[in-house]
Amino acid sequence: MNDKSGELARKIRAAQERQRQIVTGGNDGSGEPGKDEKGKALRAGTDLVAALAVGIFLGYWVDRWLDTKPWGVIFFVFVGFAAGFLNIYRSQTGQDYKVGFKPTVPDAPKDGASGEDGKTD
Amino acid sequence: MANPLQQFVIKPLIPLNIGGYDVSFTQSSLWMGLAVISATLLMTLSMRSKSVVPNRWQNVTEMIYEFVAGMVHEALGHEGRKYFAFVFSVFMIVLMGNMLGMIPYSFTFTSHIVVTGTLALMVFLTATLVGIFRHGLHFFTLFLPAGLPIFLAPLIILIEIVSYLSRPISLSVRLFANMVAGHTMMKVFAGFSVMMAASSGLGMAGAVLPLLINTALVGLEILIAFIQAYVFAVLTCMYLKDAIELH
Repeated sequence: MNDKSGELARKIRAAQERQRQIVTGGNDGSGEPGKDEKGKALRAGTDLVAALAVGIFLGYWVDRWLDTKPWGVIFFVFVGFAAGFLNIYRSQTGQDYKVGFKPTVPDAPKDGASGEDGKTD
Repeated sequence: MANPLQQFVIKPLIPLNIGGYDVSFTQSSLWMGLAVISATLLMTLSMRSKSVVPNRWQNVTEMIYEFVAGMVHEALGHEGRKYFAFVFSVFMIVLMGNMLGMIPYSFTFTSHIVVTGTLALMVFLTATLVGIFRHGLHFFTLFLPAGLPIFLAPLIILIEIVSYLSRPISLSVRLFANMVAGHTMMKVFAGFSVMMAASSGLGMAGAVLPLLINTALVGLEILIAFIQAYVFAVLTCMYLKDAIELH
């Protein structure tokens, strides 16, 4: 009897682990590399263009405001490029969309501090 | 052959005009309403029996709930419970929009940048306001990386702000572009089938090939519909995390 319930507990743990992997799948960097890389590559394109678009828009706006045509756009295109590459650099190095340079730490300390992990799942 | 982009044209069902603005009830509005209604019905009706051993519908609801709850917990920890309802709503409206769009003759409202842009802007503003309310002016240190030489600060802060502002754009463009590309591709292959079937001889027999590809594409599109909703919700969590933790 005891043996059986031990086996059941083991099965439940294994299933929970699988579930956790499905939920975090492709996002924690440790999953299947191929799938992860493709997602990152797809993301990089929009990230670069989006930052560039913001840069050009800001430049255009500054030009209209301060009457400095064309210098605002010229300056902010470069800023936009820099921000775009920053976006890509962050998503490629697992810092994701963080502003600032601290790498994503797997949230072990956060969970340990709260200590009632079982309740939320 | 019909224009593959014709499917994205907005058609007003009930023309309305308030104060010079066109606020017609369009087919896009109709499908948005249907998405909300179907999500609500799915959540309420399937949980009516509340049995310990769930039937299929209850199982689906519980899976969706646990999926989002796991995602929020993973990203935000215990702090995230407050934001669960928000993330869940965003996830459901995007998921329902994408999935209902897979029904033939329906309309995919997430294929319009104005819809995805509004959703992304809402997420962006929520995250920013949460950050400001939680941390006050301290929130703006987000744009100043630690240990930065002071003479670089003006340039880096500018770059960080542009990077921050680009987030709602890349978030909305990603969803919108995926939906437009997928639905256009399906229409193009369907068009090939129709054109080949209309020709004679060998072309007629070959019409089955684009049909086969289209069958595979429908499966792929359903996968993408889910993945894009997932990505949208995950990034919502990420942005909230930035605002809450303020590293």
